[in-house]
Amino acid sequence: MSNNSTNILDIRNIEVMYDNVILGLHDVSLKVPKGKVVALLGANGAGKSTTLKAISTMLASERGKVTKGSIDYDGNSIEKQNPSQMVGLGMVQVLEGRRCFGHLTVEENIISGAYSRKLSKGDIDQELEKIYGYFLRLKERRKSQAAFTSGGEQQMIAVARAMMAKPKMLLLDEPTMGLAPQLVAEIFNIIKELNQKEGVSILLAEQNTNIALKNSDYGYIIETGKVMLEGTAQNLLNNDKVKELYLGISKKGRKNFRDVLKEESLKKKSN
Amino acid sequence: MANELLFFMEVLVGGLLAGTMYSLVALGFVLIFKASATFNFSQGAMVFFSVLAFCGFMQDFNIPFVLAFILAALLMVVVGLCTERLVLRPLMNASEDTVLMATIGLGYVLEGLAQAAWGVEVRRLDLGIGDFPVPWIADNLKLFISALDITAGLVAAIMIIGLFLLFKYTKIGLGLRAVADDAGAASSIGIPLKHIMLLVWSAAGVVALVAGCMWGARAGVQFALVDLALKALPVLIIGGFSSIPGAIIGGLIIGAVEKILEVYIGPFFGGAIEGWAPYVLAIFFLLYRPEGLFGEKIIRRV
Repeated sequence: MSNNSTNILDIRNIEVMYDNVILGLHDVSLKVPKGKVVALLGANGAGKSTTLKAISTMLASERGKVTKGSIDYDGNSIEKQNPSQMVGLGMVQVLEGRRCFGHLTVEENIISGAYSRKLSKGDIDQELEKIYGYFLRLKERRKSQAAFTSGGEQQMIAVARAMMAKPKMLLLDEPTMGLAPQLVAEIFNIIKELNQKEGVSILLAEQNTNIALKNSDYGYIIETGKVMLEGTAQNLLNNDKVKELYLGISKKGRKNFRDVLKEESLKKKSN
Repeated sequence: MANELLFFMEVLVGGLLAGTMYSLVALGFVLIFKASATFNFSQGAMVFFSVLAFCGFMQDFNIPFVLAFILAALLMVVVGLCTERLVLRPLMNASEDTVLMATIGLGYVLEGLAQAAWGVEVRRLDLGIGDFPVPWIADNLKLFISALDITAGLVAAIMIIGLFLLFKYTKIGLGLRAVADDAGAASSIGIPLKHIMLLVWSAAGVVALVAGCMWGARAGVQFALVDLALKALPVLIIGGFSSIPGAIIGGLIIGAVEKILEVYIGPFFGGAIEGWAPYVLAIFFLLYRPEGLFGEKIIRRV
């Protein structure tokens, strides 16, 4: 593989096992082109977080393992890496549930993101100012303890902290979970801005299908550890099945892809 | 009456000064508890191991005081390094109970190694500070307070302030506090857990060495130091396992209370209640205020 390939991330047919017995993913392939935003969509337990952790190599700390397939980041296999090496290579994951350091101030939280880089005090201040440019709200609250900030602010802290590592690629795990619609829009605006101005490639796991696709270039839908459908964001938004199953535009009750496929095969048989 | 009050003050101040050492050792426990969510039962053995090595360097190899101290401190860093590499890293995904059992085992290994290397007899440690009342204080304040207690108190205070500054203002200190809050999130932004573990175990090792010197100078460098260091357990139950100020104040309380109980209530039990009175106090805390004085709930890593 060469570094000039257009995909910063290339996952081929991975299978993930937890504790050597529990199947987490059984066939996931996806690509993230350089500088693009790709959405990974699916319900709870579909395997979104597992996929992201397989990429950031954080699976190992949860007794998980990629047992089949390959993951290439920036042209190289990530097989032998650990999470801090991945951060050094420019791949940073923002974990589900924000996970701020509650006892640290907002600013300390953000600075901690630069831990893997060797920066002088002056460099850090300069980087901080740049980051605050995207997260104006956080600048006002820089001296507060992170535990006492709101859910939206904590999500911003988590993203700002990841940006301090100067990532080439961000993995965002449900960044809008439990946030009010206005904040959801604000978070997505920031994500878009980071993508466009800083050139960060983004893989975004979301349950909020509609807004995620509206802010992405490409999307994958996974169910029970398998990619069921993929396409450009526009195509997915217009896809009837996606509309019915994920966007709630349907008269029937919600189902999943597996049921739809079963129905279709039954129909074919009866025809 | 005035004499009784003076005597009480003497007992109290002596107890508080002795308590600073408990605070310091408890601080070592808190650091490890915060970073690896486990109570390090080998801390007592680390005290014994470090101060015995320090005595051995001085007495068996005639290495000068300062150099021997530095060597012993370096040895504790090596112990920290080996612990991280050989015990903690292989157990990274194991349950907290498994890690706890591992620290008990580590304690026995350290005790055995120390005695194998330096012998089993009680060694005398002379720090050049007498264990007798300071004349100036005795004359002016009418209090008889040991020079060794005052030194111990000062050393502990300096080390506590030093550790505080290290954690508050350095990069690795920031990393440590981040890991203490959420190890998983810290790892996700590239803070290498192994560096933090190494820092914490080294700091706990140096703290153990200092406490061992102070205690060893009073009672001789011997096996009983292991149990003395485990007094940090009631200290932490009272102060709260995850609170640094709690460790400091808990240590002072244990130091003062055990001396006062020993002097005033001890005679009814035939004396020597110092050894177990703190544990009784700890049981009351467990019954009525299990999270410790400082209200910070016992935070467990999930």
